Amino acid sequence: MAKVVVAAAGIVTEADLSTAKMGSRFGRMDLLSQLALLAVERLGINFEKMDRSRIGVCLAVSAGSLPTDIEYWKGRKEIGGPSPTLFAYTLPSSAIGEIAIRYRLTGPNLCFVGTDATLLPEARDLIERKEVDGCVCVACDVITTAASELIRVQPKAQVRAVFLVRGTNGVALEEKHRDMESVCALVCAGESARNCAR
Amino acid sequence: MPDLDQRDFPDVVIAGCGATSAVGVGVEALRTAMRTGASGLRKCERFNDGRFQSSIVGAVFQNGDGDDDPAYELANQALREACEQGRDVLQSITPDRIGFVLATTKANIEALERLSDGRDCSEMARRHLQGDLLAADLAAAHGAKGPVQCVSNACASGLIAIQQGSRLIQRGAADAALVAGVDHLSAFVMAGFSALKALDPAGCRPFDRDRAGLSPGEAGATIILARKSLIQESTNPQIQVLGWGNSNDANHITGPSRDGSGLAAAIRSALSLAKADPQELDYINAHGTGTPFNDAMESAALRSVFGDSCPPVSGSKGMLGHTLGAAGVVETILCVLAMQERCLPGTPGLKLAAEGAPSSLVREARRANRMNRVLKVNTGFGGINGAIVLGYG
Repeated sequence: MAKVVVAAAGIVTEADLSTAKMGSRFGRMDLLSQLALLAVERLGINFEKMDRSRIGVCLAVSAGSLPTDIEYWKGRKEIGGPSPTLFAYTLPSSAIGEIAIRYRLTGPNLCFVGTDATLLPEARDLIERKEVDGCVCVACDVITTAASELIRVQPKAQVRAVFLVRGTNGVALEEKHRDMESVCALVCAGESARNCAR
Repeated sequence: MPDLDQRDFPDVVIAGCGATSAVGVGVEALRTAMRTGASGLRKCERFNDGRFQSSIVGAVFQNGDGDDDPAYELANQALREACEQGRDVLQSITPDRIGFVLATTKANIEALERLSDGRDCSEMARRHLQGDLLAADLAAAHGAKGPVQCVSNACASGLIAIQQGSRLIQRGAADAALVAGVDHLSAFVMAGFSALKALDPAGCRPFDRDRAGLSPGEAGATIILARKSLIQESTNPQIQVLGWGNSNDANHITGPSRDGSGLAAAIRSALSLAKADPQELDYINAHGTGTPFNDAMESAALRSVFGDSCPPVSGSKGMLGHTLGAAGVVETILCVLAMQERCLPGTPGLKLAAEGAPSSLVREARRANRMNRVLKVNTGFGGINGAIVLGYG
């Protein structure tokens, strides 16, 4: 069985957006896509050296696209109706598209609505089955105040990203590492700090 | 071609189906529509108020003013039917070995519309705004106590959910998986496609020369997947999920790639995993949204994989509408029925094929000589492409 390692990990919050330099297109995206893209950018992975058809992108979104859904639907009473640009971001998976476009990653994608508990096992499975050589995993906890009122959970805006690869250059991903928080904490602590972006 | 794992994974078979769609309640309604070429697309009064580019939709609920939780209702109906069909298999498995995968793009978006307008909305309907909670409640209601996932990969969600259900079984996390797809018609989605000018005022016409866009639809659909060794040998051969693939165009957030290379890659991956040559396919059920760019991209992808000898192709969205997260599941059920009936389904809405469309397009349903290997594809916003290969083992 191929060994799967965490090559890089990192966390971003809404506060990090103020210093982000991601190009003009970035400003048109919804908050979730912006944070997801920034989290991947901060991993500092050089995809140029990889076969990008063999790199997957897996995403978990705790509240789906609800914050953007609310923003989009506010436009229903405006002249011309809701924004077609925002409509494109009313899919929980839209951040996958933005990540794929920016890094030209053409491998498989998975998007789960809910906690990140499914993310690492599924990404690991993709690698172990040799469907991909590596996988960008992104867990998005993006709940705006308006969304929090609707689903009655605390607002937050935090995104964790890790890059898993087959190989030895990184922290070994073990069965016990089932959530992104513990993996990020592991990588961002001690001797692996060089792989940590925050 | 991917260098895939060569381990022997257990075979995954389809042990039951359920579907509620614009052509009626139950799989038999879908079977009849497939045979006759009937379309469920109609003008719908609730969307006929000038706000939208078209009011032609594939509706199950014509009025849409009753239930506040249509996503749960649609999915639940399809699950009930599928679980009844697959009862013998499911009863032979302990509930904690039955997984559940839900495919949806918008879950119960009805609740957002109601709450935004200050209309009545039950706590359950509000809860089902969240796809994962909708999945958890449906799984609990149908006795699936194994792993539960909510997959939301745009309009490829259904096929990727089938892929996920198959993975759960193949890696031993479950012995069976209920794979449900659901999305309901909403002003929310109608307004979005209207704003994108993506609705065809004349109704969806896949691969037609004059096609002008899609027709939204709604459906609840369920496929029960099971480890083949659990199915008792019978006289009826079992249809298996032989392979799958998915990819990203990495091109545009809403538009498909022009050359179809992403979809072609997904098809090649699915064929590779299925250990099938392109020439072995007997039928392809296309995504076929009826939008000018999607159908052109899909035609290019099929040309890239199959050259001039493309197997018979048809599209079902002129019958069902575009059912978004449910599309992959309900259209896969159509493929299962086509295999059972040895019938090549037609393409409702298609009159004159577009330039560049596959010459093997099937306009009206007809008898097939052979129906052993079938390809189903879907694509979605964000450049996501999905493909699965079904076949008799």
